[in-house]
Amino acid sequence: MPPFPSTPDPWELWVRGTWLSDFVLTYGWLWPLGETLHYLGLSMLLGTVGLFDLRVLGVAKAIPVAALHRLIPFGVAGFAVNMLTGITFFSGFPEQYAYNIAFWWKGAFLALAGLNVLLFYSAAFKSVRQLGPGEDASLPAKLMAGTSLFAWIMVLICGRLLTFNRPPFFH
Amino acid sequence: MELLFGWLEHGALSTWIREDPFAFPALVVMHTIGMGVVVGTAAAIDLRLLGVAPGVPVAAMTRFLPFGWGGFVLNAASGVGLLIAYPTKALTNPVFYLKLTCIFLAAWTLRVIGRGLDGPEPQTRLRRLAMASLALWATGIGAGRLLAYTYRYLLIGFPNHNI
Repeated sequence: MPPFPSTPDPWELWVRGTWLSDFVLTYGWLWPLGETLHYLGLSMLLGTVGLFDLRVLGVAKAIPVAALHRLIPFGVAGFAVNMLTGITFFSGFPEQYAYNIAFWWKGAFLALAGLNVLLFYSAAFKSVRQLGPGEDASLPAKLMAGTSLFAWIMVLICGRLLTFNRPPFFH
Repeated sequence: MELLFGWLEHGALSTWIREDPFAFPALVVMHTIGMGVVVGTAAAIDLRLLGVAPGVPVAAMTRFLPFGWGGFVLNAASGVGLLIAYPTKALTNPVFYLKLTCIFLAAWTLRVIGRGLDGPEPQTRLRRLAMASLALWATGIGAGRLLAYTYRYLLIGFPNHNI
């Protein structure tokens, strides 16, 4: 993480000059609305991807995996909502995120979650989606499901800790 | 009331939660994890009842209920901790009572839906409850988030100058 500069760097001034930054700072009610949507989005992600991971790990094995996978688009939608609201928050107070150690950790766990998604869909999904009632996933698939749960919960924890790790003042 | 809030706020536990560098963030983090787990689990069950993922046997979803209730218990416990830290902040704000009402009603829908998953419950009733559940959890989250913006007093004698 770069040290917190006393005056804004050029990239920060650029972010502050965008229409999105102007928009979110002009209407005060957008911030709490965005936070509410961000919380709903994370709940959808955790409730769909999280339950899918639990099934791969062996919980509720009576559920055929392909059927449970139909819930995943709702998690993807939740993630999209959170990317949009997250970018909006960042545009409003870029320095409060860029010089915040929790933000960098959150990004690192987000990258882990993303790489794990790529690995799962390229290497494990083809066999996992065939699993019918009562059938057990392979060990590599279970490791990926466990990694998914761990990474998303760490993203959530680091996100919530942003508030407590902000730089000392606003530019 | 003020006497009771004042007594709570000056108590050792309340002071410790407010002043310890880790206690308050830890409670807030637990409250967010529990929220995601209980609301996410409930929403997934609701979506199934409303026709998404029709291949999922409804009865099998009962296996996910312990996770949902685990999240709920985590939030009840961490919520009590947060309330002990700032009793005046929550209890003098009408939005807090709206939030609690939504959460209790939402938890009730989860209980009724959970019991109906493997019983001969009429489907239309469960579907209505699923819709109510989604609306109640969403309103509860919105009201909870608004608590940070709508409180009148942070502590006794410390009014919120932003509203």
